[in-house]
Amino acid sequence: MKARLNRAEILASTPLRQALGLMGIVFAILLVTLGFAYVALRSSTEDSIRADLKQQTAVFQVAANPETLSVIVSAEARASDPSERAIAFVMSDGRQVGNVRVTHQGDRWVISRHPEYAPLSKHGYFTLTMPLAGGLLVIGESRAPIAELTSTFLAILVFSFVPSLLVSAAYGAWVGMRARKRVSAIEETLDDLTEGRLEARVPRDEVKARKGDDLARIGARLNVMAETQEATVAALRQVSADIAHDLKTPMQRISVLLSELQEALPEDTPPRALAEQAGTEAERAVAVFHSLLRIAQIEGGSPKARFARVDLGALAADITELYEASAEEAGGALTLQRPDAPLIVHGDRGLLGQMLSNLIENAIRHGGPAPKIAVSLSRERGAIILSVADHGPGIPEAEREKVLRRLYRLERSRTTPGNGLGLALVHAVAGLHEAELELSDNRPGLIVSLRFAAPGQSA
Amino acid sequence: MKLLLIEDDATTADYVLRGLREEGHTVDHLANGRDGLTQALGGTYDVMIIDRMLPELDGLSITRAIRAAKVTTPIIFLTAIGGVDDRIEGLNAGADDYLVKPFAFGELSARLAALARRPQAQSEQVMLEAGDLKVDLIARKVTRGGQEIDLLPREFSLLEFLLRRKGRVQTRTMLLEGVWDLNFDPQTNVVETHISRLRNKVDKPFERDLIHTVRGAGYRIEG
Repeated sequence: MKARLNRAEILASTPLRQALGLMGIVFAILLVTLGFAYVALRSSTEDSIRADLKQQTAVFQVAANPETLSVIVSAEARASDPSERAIAFVMSDGRQVGNVRVTHQGDRWVISRHPEYAPLSKHGYFTLTMPLAGGLLVIGESRAPIAELTSTFLAILVFSFVPSLLVSAAYGAWVGMRARKRVSAIEETLDDLTEGRLEARVPRDEVKARKGDDLARIGARLNVMAETQEATVAALRQVSADIAHDLKTPMQRISVLLSELQEALPEDTPPRALAEQAGTEAERAVAVFHSLLRIAQIEGGSPKARFARVDLGALAADITELYEASAEEAGGALTLQRPDAPLIVHGDRGLLGQMLSNLIENAIRHGGPAPKIAVSLSRERGAIILSVADHGPGIPEAEREKVLRRLYRLERSRTTPGNGLGLALVHAVAGLHEAELELSDNRPGLIVSLRFAAPGQSA
Repeated sequence: MKLLLIEDDATTADYVLRGLREEGHTVDHLANGRDGLTQALGGTYDVMIIDRMLPELDGLSITRAIRAAKVTTPIIFLTAIGGVDDRIEGLNAGADDYLVKPFAFGELSARLAALARRPQAQSEQVMLEAGDLKVDLIARKVTRGGQEIDLLPREFSLLEFLLRRKGRVQTRTMLLEGVWDLNFDPQTNVVETHISRLRNKVDKPFERDLIHTVRGAGYRIEG
């Protein structure tokens, strides 16, 4: 059926989902471990920068007056790159020396660029301010090492995670695709079996040569099951063929003898009438036998192998046209309502025709005097609904399930013709076509409706 | 016609043989599959009647063997089974028609006549006639004695079907298959109803009846 694998199916495959799930867990663990390491390393780096900063102030503390300190700071400022170390001395009269400018904002000293020096560090500063020689010394150490640390950690995360994500996703997809192929081989076999092709098997190489993994075991079991089913159906067919032959040969003889008896008896005499009656009864017995055999075969599902596209609309038109005259003879009417467009289902035209005939015949027979029968077809959310409604006495709710059984007849119908197999056959044909069969109240009367799934594009 | 009957059940075979001989046919009868096949391949027949269940060699195998030997004589298959698949199986094996036991002799006789006349080169005919009834297939016009008869499309098809097989009996099942393309036996008299409606238009207003009922078999149109 669907031999080609599409992307959605591979994404939905178990191995790929498992691989991706596992990767998610690995990523989470990695994130936590690296996170802890980063936080610890960062705080120790910060500590060492601060300690360094503190040590540097020692050099300046030797200066006793603002002038000396200004000279030392200026010398230091010229020697340092402001992007690594910022240094400024604010004297009591507000004059500044240093490689950066500092301004007092709120309770903090903010560093800004000194036009004669290089640009500031992009990463900010750890600053230390201390009152010295009647002024204020501001020293800032660039935060660049911390930024470097962060980017190193991010790089570690990316370099360790991305390749393993790619590798495991690819592996998962590969395994998934292989498993998917094997699963679809099993699915195809199941589809074939459900559609009545009992000779369908999971291919041999999908079952063998895989050291008995789970899929191979399922495939092998499925094959065993299919073989058993095929054998059972064959046995059943043989038995029913034997019964049919053994029972029908005498029936054939009886009808032959009865028709010869009829010929031998003079017309319009009581014995002739008896012989004719016996002939009719023999025909009825044969009809019941036929119907039972047919229902059994339909329920066995074998006609599915012959399914083709059937236009239910055209078929309903043919069948209603066939019965229109009979309904009128009975003093009633038979109408068909259907959309103009074809209503295609996947099925067996002969069986669907017989099903509809049975429903119409039932309605003519049990639809009361002057039966008004309405056959209608409609399309409803992708499904095709076929219904046959009459205005007769209907079927009591409690009996609706039972009338679908073989040979079941309502008490009041025992005197009317029919063999109690009409609706059983409808039920079997509906089941074969996976159509939902519903019997409901027409107030008054009976509505039998069937809901067919319209065939998909793949069918 | 020269016919071959391969049937093991004596009662059925006697009945069929008697009926066929009464109709004036020459019939060879064999009661087992192996002899039947030898006879089928050796003789020349107009139609062969083969039972499905036979001693020694079953009917399906005989039919396949006959077709494999490139013998194209029409074959009518008799079967006791008559389920949904059996009909298809018989036709797939190479049979031309199929009859489920028990059958009325009339049905067999009508189907034999139909098979013997195949293939018919009637498709080019544009005018069908029976007595003073004329059917123009192109204009789809029906007249009788010069008087135009108005028919519904299905009534027209039914009349055309009978006229194309003028003089030969057409059974109810043959009409259902040929006119409605349906392969099952309705419980009610649908075909009878349609025939009676057709008669009301084609025969009733006129003196002579053209559509005849053949008791126990079906209908026939006479010229």
